[in-house]
Amino acid sequence: MKSFSAGSIISFVVLVLGQVLLFNHLHIFGSINPMLYLLFFIFYRFESNQTVLILLSFLLGFFIDFLSQSGGAHTIATLTIGFVRPLIIRYSFGVTMETPQSYFSDSRTLNKIIFLILLTVFHHTLYFTLVYFSWDALLLIAKNALFTSLFSLILMGIILNFYPNRK
Amino acid sequence: MQRILNALLQFRNPILYIFLLGISFSFSFNQSPFHEYNIQKYGFFLSSKLFDYKDAVSSYLDLKIINQQLLKENEQLKRIELNSNNIPLYPLALKPPRRFPFKLKRANVIKNSFQNQRNFLILDIGAENGVHPEMGVISNNGILGVVHSVSKNYANVISILHQDLKINVRTTKSAAFGSLVWSGKNPLEFIVDDIVSNANINVGDTLITGGMSSYFPLGIPIGKISKLNKIQGNGYYAVEATLFNDPSQIYYAFVLENLDAQELKSLQKNIPQ
Repeated sequence: MKSFSAGSIISFVVLVLGQVLLFNHLHIFGSINPMLYLLFFIFYRFESNQTVLILLSFLLGFFIDFLSQSGGAHTIATLTIGFVRPLIIRYSFGVTMETPQSYFSDSRTLNKIIFLILLTVFHHTLYFTLVYFSWDALLLIAKNALFTSLFSLILMGIILNFYPNRK
Repeated sequence: MQRILNALLQFRNPILYIFLLGISFSFSFNQSPFHEYNIQKYGFFLSSKLFDYKDAVSSYLDLKIINQQLLKENEQLKRIELNSNNIPLYPLALKPPRRFPFKLKRANVIKNSFQNQRNFLILDIGAENGVHPEMGVISNNGILGVVHSVSKNYANVISILHQDLKINVRTTKSAAFGSLVWSGKNPLEFIVDDIVSNANINVGDTLITGGMSSYFPLGIPIGKISKLNKIQGNGYYAVEATLFNDPSQIYYAFVLENLDAQELKSLQKNIPQ
């Protein structure tokens, strides 16, 4: 079992800085800030240690919250994603011998897209629920989660296209 | 210990997750008053509901204790009430108040009957609690009878629903004395004998104990006059009275201990016949 490597530390730092310095200031259509730091959950290898992932996801959310002065919603949403990621992997790639070792070692495009959508939509819904934290804002939560997910997915798709599939 | 450790290791991910979630929630609430307020709102709603249920259950379970406390309080209030009845009859303005020789003992009525012409009650206190024959027994709103005999833990009481028991009564307005006897039909209907016809009494007057016996102090309210007939050529009223509360439906009683009973008895003995 591989635990986290130097690569995941670099991706951690780059994603935190990128999110805080760049993507939090995009304001597409006035208010949409895509959350690209979710790429961390894609880069992190599927067979790596789950306990370490939970700790790392907590730290990731914590640093982003800390550096962008947000209330703690990033931490909770990211931590939860870190915890449920095995379920999302199992659901989108199936529990078979073909379960890939990482996102890039799989060649089935549809499964990858499902994985990305599940991850992003779940995270964003949770995030905006925590930000608004009121039943009255249900429509606002749904709207924001939907549009931000859309842009996050588009940008993540573009970035992931730069990486070749590795067997 | 090993098994606990194993379980902890097995569930380390959920445990870690919940732990970190708690930390991040606490961060979040420390930073944002809005979140804090919202969580407190739900927390308050939940806890108030919870405490409602808890209160309902615990107050039900505490009923017996509360009952006991109320009885104790009643006993004290009864004593004060009886004591205060004493004052108007003996208004001694600057002198110390007259001694009140009665003491109260709480008791539960464990057997009560009203179907016979001569009824008895049984109380759950007896000789061990200091109950002796010829003590008065009262309820919270009226009188119940006189102790007839006692065993170690129980007392047998002649009920006022007993045709041979006569109780000395007067009205609140006039000092006309009479004796109260059960008519033998309805537990609320009584007859008052021996009230002379020149006494100033009316229908609706309240009957209280007369204080002429060693059983009851003056002024315990018993009932009301419901009918008044002058008997021709006799010089007495035929008075019918209704009790304030039904002596057949009493569960708690107070036994009155007259501290001067021996003294009164010895005095009566010394009277030359």
